[in-house]
Amino acid sequence: MKLFRTFSYLSTGLTYLLIFVGGMVRVSGAGMGCPDWPKCFDRWIPPTNISQLPDHIDPAKFNIVLAWIEYSNRLFGALVGLTITITLILGLKHYSQRATIKWPLIVAFILTLVEGWLGAVLVHTVLNPVTITLHLLLALIIVMLLLYAAQESYYLENPNAESDSKYPPNIHWAFIVLFITLIIEIILGTEIRGGLEILRKDNPLLDSNFLIYMLGPFKYMHTILGILILGLSIFLWYKLAKKSHNSSELVSQSSLAILVLLVFQIISGEVLVFIKVKPIVQLFHLWFASIIMGLVSIQYCAWRKSQYYHE
Amino acid sequence: MLVAGTVASWVINLANESHDISIIKKVPNFSLINQNGDPFTEKDLINKITVLDFFFTNCPGPCPIMTYNMKNLYNDFSSTDAVQFVSITVDPENDSNEILKTYSKINGVEDQRWQFLTSDLNSIKMLKQDGFMLFADELPQGHAIKFILIDEKGNIRKYFDGTDDASIAILKKDITQLVKQIRSI
Repeated sequence: MKLFRTFSYLSTGLTYLLIFVGGMVRVSGAGMGCPDWPKCFDRWIPPTNISQLPDHIDPAKFNIVLAWIEYSNRLFGALVGLTITITLILGLKHYSQRATIKWPLIVAFILTLVEGWLGAVLVHTVLNPVTITLHLLLALIIVMLLLYAAQESYYLENPNAESDSKYPPNIHWAFIVLFITLIIEIILGTEIRGGLEILRKDNPLLDSNFLIYMLGPFKYMHTILGILILGLSIFLWYKLAKKSHNSSELVSQSSLAILVLLVFQIISGEVLVFIKVKPIVQLFHLWFASIIMGLVSIQYCAWRKSQYYHE
Repeated sequence: MLVAGTVASWVINLANESHDISIIKKVPNFSLINQNGDPFTEKDLINKITVLDFFFTNCPGPCPIMTYNMKNLYNDFSSTDAVQFVSITVDPENDSNEILKTYSKINGVEDQRWQFLTSDLNSIKMLKQDGFMLFADELPQGHAIKFILIDEKGNIRKYFDGTDDASIAILKKDITQLVKQIRSI
């Protein structure tokens, strides 16, 4: 049981790291670092020298740095896949009766297989922008499912974690609106990025700042929604952490963390759009978005748990 | 968080620096004729980024794919005169200026950014073999399918498989990088 809990935390944490590594592949332009899949230049260990390339592969495609960046994403992905598989096996063994643990893990496992296959499609389509966005969205869904299962297993171990806390019952709507806006916001964000990619494909010489200018209304909608999300999160923080009796540590800290991350998101987002498209900022902007999603999901599950006690 | 940030910036830097494209050798002097009957020499390579290939108009095999890829590049870089495309026929017996001209029209070439060159078979063979270090034993059939990237000083920088999408994607990045380098000088 303890082993299962450890693995459910581990798989969530590692998946978050994997999203970071995937973002790194993206911003460093290493997506085609290995022109084939699953092997890299027809080798299970990527070449360290151009002389190791097989004859049928064009040496122009070889860049040792990019090859290893891309391959580390694949290796790490395989490790995460293995961790998720072990989590699923342990979950089915101990909690096959618990739908809230069993199903998220089963779906996460299946989606992980799909995610690996999408990785192969990406390489074969030479990084189709729509597929890149799907690859990210799927990763977000997987990590949320794992997080949900992990939180459920935490409550199995600590059944009274939310029994003393009294949160306002009538804020269900705020969670729903927040979730929907968050998803639209992330899609808009990937549209800005995907749009940049598509524009750049046909106009390779235009610089990123000019391309963003061409994207027009997208970026304003992204900013406006961002402010709306901040407003909703302040509201939820106020209700859950300030106006509630005995808020659990989990809820008060995740509520606060959401606000801190959102402030960073707004500042970094404006830097990206109005000052300069900097890869490292782009990377953290995306990664923090995925963490905010997770934190809101933690908030919501905890709130529901407490409502269940007080019904 | 700090560790992740440091590692990530290090990796991004490493990736940026890895794009350096080394010089292979200088293109030797040559003198060919383009589809309009005008001369084209190594001097026409100066101050431009050039993508060059060897082909012939009757070629059934890889040439149509090469020409298709070259045409896409020609269209993608239409916003600048700093990038030019050069296709040299390996079948000068057949590919007269007239035929090359028709061929260029069919492929939508309307300006000087993509030129089709010819000369006598021997000069082309020498240029291909000694100048560009590509095999030229059984022309026209046995011609290479390489796209050759040449910089603004007339240096060969890199060879690409002209029939492979992934290679072309990298070529596109490399052209962009070289153009940005000339512009920043």
